[in-house]
Amino acid sequence: MKTRMRLAAALAAASLIGLTGCGANPGATGAAGAAGSDFPKKGKSIDLIVAFGSGGAVDTAARLIQPVLEKELGTNVEVINKPGAGGQIGYTQLTSAKPDGYTIGATGSPSVVVSPLDPSRGAKYTRESFQPLGRQVIDPTVIAVQPDSPYQTLKELLDAAKANPKSMTASTTGLQTGEHFALAQIQEETGSEFAPVHFSEGASQATTAFLGKHVEVLVANVSDVNDLSKQGKARVLGVMSGERAPSLPDVPTFKESGYDMTAGTARGYSAPAGLPDDVAKKLEAAIQKAIEDPAVVKKMQDLGLQTSYLNGADYQAFWAGQEGDFKKVLPLVQKKD
Amino acid sequence: MDTLNELLNGFAAAMTWQNLLFAFLGCLLGTIIGVLPGIGPVAGVALLIPLTLNMDATGAIIMLCAIFYGTAYGGTITSVLLNTPGEAASAITTIDGYAMTKIGKAGAALTIAAVGSFVGGTIATLGLVAAAKPLGELGLLVGPPEFFALMVVGISLLVALAGKSMVKAVISGALGLLISMVGIDPVAGAPRFTFGMDRLLDGVSFVAVIVGVFGLSELLSYRKGDQPAAVHAPNLRSLLPTGREWLRSAPAMARGTGIGFGLGLIPGMTGSVSSLLSYGAEKKFSRNRHELGKGAIEGVAGPETANNAHANAALIPLFTLGIPASPTIAVLMGAFLQQGLTPGPTLFTENSEIAWAIIASLFIGNLILLLLNVPLVGLWTSILRVPSSILNALILLFMVIGAYTINFSVFDVFVMIGFGLLGLALRHLDIPLAPMVLTLVLGPLMERSLRESLEISQGDFSIFTSRPISAVLIGLGLLIVFSPLLKLRKPKALNEDPET
Amino acid sequence: MTTESVATKPPSTVRVAPTVLAGIGAFAAVGTYVLVSSVGLGLWTSLGPGPGLFPFAMGAVLVAMALLWLLQELRNPSETAPGIDRGLVVGVVASLVVLAAVMDLLGFQLSMFAFLLYHLKIRGRRTWVSALIIAVAGSFGAFYAFNYGLNVALPVSALPFLNAIGL
Repeated sequence: MKTRMRLAAALAAASLIGLTGCGANPGATGAAGAAGSDFPKKGKSIDLIVAFGSGGAVDTAARLIQPVLEKELGTNVEVINKPGAGGQIGYTQLTSAKPDGYTIGATGSPSVVVSPLDPSRGAKYTRESFQPLGRQVIDPTVIAVQPDSPYQTLKELLDAAKANPKSMTASTTGLQTGEHFALAQIQEETGSEFAPVHFSEGASQATTAFLGKHVEVLVANVSDVNDLSKQGKARVLGVMSGERAPSLPDVPTFKESGYDMTAGTARGYSAPAGLPDDVAKKLEAAIQKAIEDPAVVKKMQDLGLQTSYLNGADYQAFWAGQEGDFKKVLPLVQKKD
Repeated sequence: MDTLNELLNGFAAAMTWQNLLFAFLGCLLGTIIGVLPGIGPVAGVALLIPLTLNMDATGAIIMLCAIFYGTAYGGTITSVLLNTPGEAASAITTIDGYAMTKIGKAGAALTIAAVGSFVGGTIATLGLVAAAKPLGELGLLVGPPEFFALMVVGISLLVALAGKSMVKAVISGALGLLISMVGIDPVAGAPRFTFGMDRLLDGVSFVAVIVGVFGLSELLSYRKGDQPAAVHAPNLRSLLPTGREWLRSAPAMARGTGIGFGLGLIPGMTGSVSSLLSYGAEKKFSRNRHELGKGAIEGVAGPETANNAHANAALIPLFTLGIPASPTIAVLMGAFLQQGLTPGPTLFTENSEIAWAIIASLFIGNLILLLLNVPLVGLWTSILRVPSSILNALILLFMVIGAYTINFSVFDVFVMIGFGLLGLALRHLDIPLAPMVLTLVLGPLMERSLRESLEISQGDFSIFTSRPISAVLIGLGLLIVFSPLLKLRKPKALNEDPET
Repeated sequence: MTTESVATKPPSTVRVAPTVLAGIGAFAAVGTYVLVSSVGLGLWTSLGPGPGLFPFAMGAVLVAMALLWLLQELRNPSETAPGIDRGLVVGVVASLVVLAAVMDLLGFQLSMFAFLLYHLKIRGRRTWVSALIIAVAGSFGAFYAFNYGLNVALPVSALPFLNAIGL
């Protein structure tokens, strides 16, 4: 009997040691004083919070830079998806984490810029709650229809949506996200009217619904439709950038079709405000290395995206500028009483 | 061919030494939970989720799945040796299993049970492999209205089958949905039911709620005399069954696999139904049916095979449709969601590597269980000799650590205590807990798909009945809920099933 | 195992048990609260279904079910469930609340040590030796295993003199 008990104890101990040895990774919020010149502590992993579902463009970009970040920082980086409420749930988690460098997040505007501006969302963060670390890309908005759709050009689609308001459903990646803004802008300028469906977990959910033909019009970013367009699963009618997207050379810009509008999502990485300076410097440098890594740039290109890096300070200035711009158009996407 | 390739890749990913270790630890912990009569599989899996929160997604899910099917086997050991089922699904095994122990054939019974579990589990996993691709492709047909309808079916089945009163089951389901709504609204971002507390913006922690409602309240509802008597060392003359026993077991295992697999696919059915039906089938069809009850090997082989086939088959609706078939699976699904994985049709398109690694680990885990269990029988029974006061103190310790480490805050410990009391009240009022767990997990998904559907239809509720798939599903849901009026009876066994 | 147990006496009359009535009342109250506050959240906005729509439905379900249950009880009162062991419930819940309340102040190790000792020695009546060994392992041992083994930080004391000696 005694030996059995001892055996049980030994086994329990062995399993605990086993669990330990194989690097069950540490939590984001660690012991006090962990941040400092010894950042990042060995064996303590860094959480990279993605505020959208897996498979979308934000998620893909984060997973691309993750291995380079791991190499640069010498510790594990875990990408964690916290989708919901058009990014607000993930941003809330990011900004409420300890500013010790062990929690960083992918931030995309306009969602991160706008959610604190609308009081009805009750966001617990403002622009000052974030410490921008670097911008990676600007992803222009596109509008696409089903491959068997009767509309061949942007004009045909918008005219039809004007003649029969709300007859067509159009996806967004959540209330007050880039896609929602773009759709609202299009409606405002052209008088067309769609029935928006807000897929609040992000682009992967919206494209899945589009592929299943549950929505008729897909409002998304270049990187979301790149593959779909090549496989003939979506007909892209227009891209909302100044120039044609290199990955979609046959798709005219909105301006070419006679609608002078641009829209897109700018994506980068941020930490909760209040990072110690040396930690911020280390993270900024690692993120720059990762974003500008030739392999990463090449893969972003394959997704249809031009890398346009900005350092932390410039990203912050860009962010502040966007805040001013979006304040003006916010009423377009706010609920009316 | 494609499937085979992906499965092989999955094996490669599952065979790293970390993942093998996770599978091993999961089997070990699962068996312990199965052996201990106090903690059921629901609380057991929930209790161990915090341990896995910091692991990478693949390892964490591999370990939790192993815990889940490990419990299905652990319960057998005490049924056979002590005449006390460690969990409900093994209750029927006590009849012939314990009879075999009394005539000195405990070893043979346990070996047959282990082999049967292995066979049932492996065949059910093969079913998952076969179903994954076709069902995954069907996934695109499932738009928001269909998704909503699917969840309605799952919940109505559980409500209709759980407990004695449907009114109480619906109350339980509604409570779960309400708890899931605390926090930031997943669509419009407005805070709901947070009572001004910033802590609640992120919602009430799922793990703290489950640990409280299932674990703590279970411990609180003990009464004097509930503790099992001291255990004597079993007499293990030989572990190896005779050739004749193998021959007799084979058909029972085949029948058990069929029953367990079939019932495992149906949401709302629990493992005990499978093992009971399998025992019934042996009584009817076995050539040695007259020996049943006096230590017939079929009485062990059939139900135990059915039990494990059921446990593994129940993963099929989870993986392919995102529908949890039982409360334990709902907890498992909660763990998936915490790791950023959404089970369902999109799992195989967006996280196919992880999905196949997990499936491969199911095969490995079933093998580990087979190799682990029989030689370690002595160890498992020794756990039962730990006095209950020590065991309870250690369980409380684990609950506190588990709740604290979710967000590194004592707030979640208080949440756990509060929900422990709520669980105690619900038990006292005879309100089943299972619907609550299910809706707690499904709540956000249900709400989202409902609102998306209504956006698609621009507010017209007929979208649920005008699309063929969702119309059929909604009809099915209504039929299930109103089945008492149509005089459709649920299996009696479910009334006695503590898991529901 | 327990110090004292007071089981609730099942009333022998055919009236609805007071605990059941209280439960029904509580569910009805929660349902009503949800119904009222969900209207404030907005059932339908110009942007589509609002944040209050789903809670509204659930509140309605809860109220309706509470009423149905009340009707069922009035017609056919359910058997009262077996009583609970109040000594156990009070002992466990109170000790957990105290533990959670002082954990940030005293640190995990001291508070858990006291908690375990209470459960093992006072409630469980173990011998001093076994109680002490398990309590030390469960508090100090668990702290080191989690902190250094699993890299999961359990709280240390907020009091400087305790913090200084590693508690």
